[in-house]
Amino acid sequence: MEERVLSVLRTVFKDNTIDATCSQKNCAAWDSMNHLNLVVELEIEFGVSLEPEEIARMVDYTAVCEILKAKGIC
Amino acid sequence: MTYVFRNNTIERFLTGDYIFSGYDDFSAVPEADAYLWWYQVPIKYNRDQLVAEVESYAQRLLWAVDQIGDMPLLILTLESVYDVNSNISDRRLARAIEAFNSTAWNLAATKANIQVVDFGAFLNRYPYFERIDWKFYFLSQMILNPRLAGDFRKWLDEQQRALALKRKKCLVLDLDNTLWGGVLGEEGIEGVQIDGDYPGKAYHYWQEGLKELERNGVILAICSKNNQIDVEVLFAAREMPLSLKDFACTRIDWKDKATNIREIAQELNIGLDSMVFVDDNPTERELIRQQLPMISVPEWPSQPYELPMFYARLVEDYFSVYALTDEDKKKTEQYRQNANRAQAQAQFTDMEDFLRSLEMKLTITPATDVTIPRIAQMTQKTNQFNLTTIRYTESDIRLLLDNGAQIWTLAVADRFGDNGITGLMILKPENGWIIDTLLMSCRVLGKGIEEAFFKTVIGKYKGALAAQYIPTEKNRQVEEFYERMGMKLTRTIDGGVKEYSAQIETLDTSINDYYKIE
Repeated sequence: MEERVLSVLRTVFKDNTIDATCSQKNCAAWDSMNHLNLVVELEIEFGVSLEPEEIARMVDYTAVCEILKAKGIC
Repeated sequence: MTYVFRNNTIERFLTGDYIFSGYDDFSAVPEADAYLWWYQVPIKYNRDQLVAEVESYAQRLLWAVDQIGDMPLLILTLESVYDVNSNISDRRLARAIEAFNSTAWNLAATKANIQVVDFGAFLNRYPYFERIDWKFYFLSQMILNPRLAGDFRKWLDEQQRALALKRKKCLVLDLDNTLWGGVLGEEGIEGVQIDGDYPGKAYHYWQEGLKELERNGVILAICSKNNQIDVEVLFAAREMPLSLKDFACTRIDWKDKATNIREIAQELNIGLDSMVFVDDNPTERELIRQQLPMISVPEWPSQPYELPMFYARLVEDYFSVYALTDEDKKKTEQYRQNANRAQAQAQFTDMEDFLRSLEMKLTITPATDVTIPRIAQMTQKTNQFNLTTIRYTESDIRLLLDNGAQIWTLAVADRFGDNGITGLMILKPENGWIIDTLLMSCRVLGKGIEEAFFKTVIGKYKGALAAQYIPTEKNRQVEEFYERMGMKLTRTIDGGVKEYSAQIETLDTSINDYYKIE
């Protein structure tokens, strides 16, 4: 799952160097528009629907992984 | 860089070099290489406010058009993605949307830098509930479902490519089995199908469509293997929507079509890339695709009843325009008048390469019980490539065989399919041999097959050979055939009958290697 999340982040933010430290704070491409793109791509990739509260909590790579785990993705 | 006028969140739908206005933002229009206008009907339940807002868009569009000067602008039509109307007789919103779109189409019709694409055509692919995802709307004011973004980008790309390709100038048409049903040279003036019942009705309707294109400024031309005079008589004698004067240029002869189409382009002084070629014969289409790849060559429908769909696609792909100026409408007339009738020097495309690519297989066999009915039928029906036009019944054929005649049939296949038996030669023993009958179906003409057939059969014999050409209304195209084959004209008698002789050993019976003979 972690690798797939990284791969989605890299595609959406168009940056192959992105790793587990990625967050809204240190990644310039992670703006509000791309946040939305990220949500759509994650929903498609993992076949889940992300709730608005979860979307608001998704501020970094670690949070993304936690939210997906909570939805039973491993 | 393209600057986008918008009123909601659409960034996800446009990737690449775009910058976006604010929502319904008219503070300033930056300089850009191109502009895109893509508004959507906002989400609002208050009907009065909603209608008033939509009604204001046309003014804003006109303002934007003023700002951008002559720079290219692409407008997507305004569509409603989500609407709840409690009073179904209230048509104000629909009218406001329609008014905006009319403004857009009118702009496109009057200004060369402006084009419109019908966004409704994209939306209509999806059911109502898939067009919008409310979660994303509330999170980001994105009306369109973000999952449609990939499809949308592909669709918009196609639309833009299509816009660039559209507006061909000239439609080049074949005649037999294209403008009417049947083969004029075989079925005669009264035999071709162009009115009355199906399939004539289908061709009639198709011609009406072509006539409408002509009225709207598309130049029509004919490129057909036929006798000019027969075609003229047909157009005069039969009731049909098109008349010969609807065609700005015609090439009705037996030359290869690539050469003829080049001449048409020169005569009309238009580029080959502005021409569309329509022909029912796959071999002709392949010739043009190979020799003149810049010409658009749509596939031909397999049944006449499919012509309306074919016509719709033809118009959509090549001839849809926003509007016509009077000048457009006079175009055919101008082209006809200005056409330089001086025939261009015949240009040889690489005909040999084309013939080679067909992978033609000629099967030449003596008559058998099985083929006798077909042999008799061909003598009855073949008119154009028929040197003597002698009609035989099946029992006549059997009698000829009993009396020592030699009968050869020709079957032609190429990589587009097998045409079956399409050629016939009958030789009678008479001071050597005399060619009693030589005929070919016009389906296979124009590829040198007649020559290969003649030479292969003759090459099987020795000694003296005699032949005749008996002129008829329809076989003028072969009046020089025996001369071309190297036979000597010995005399011309009453009614133009020509008599020939030759020593077979002195004739050139070599055949190009691209015909495979069996």
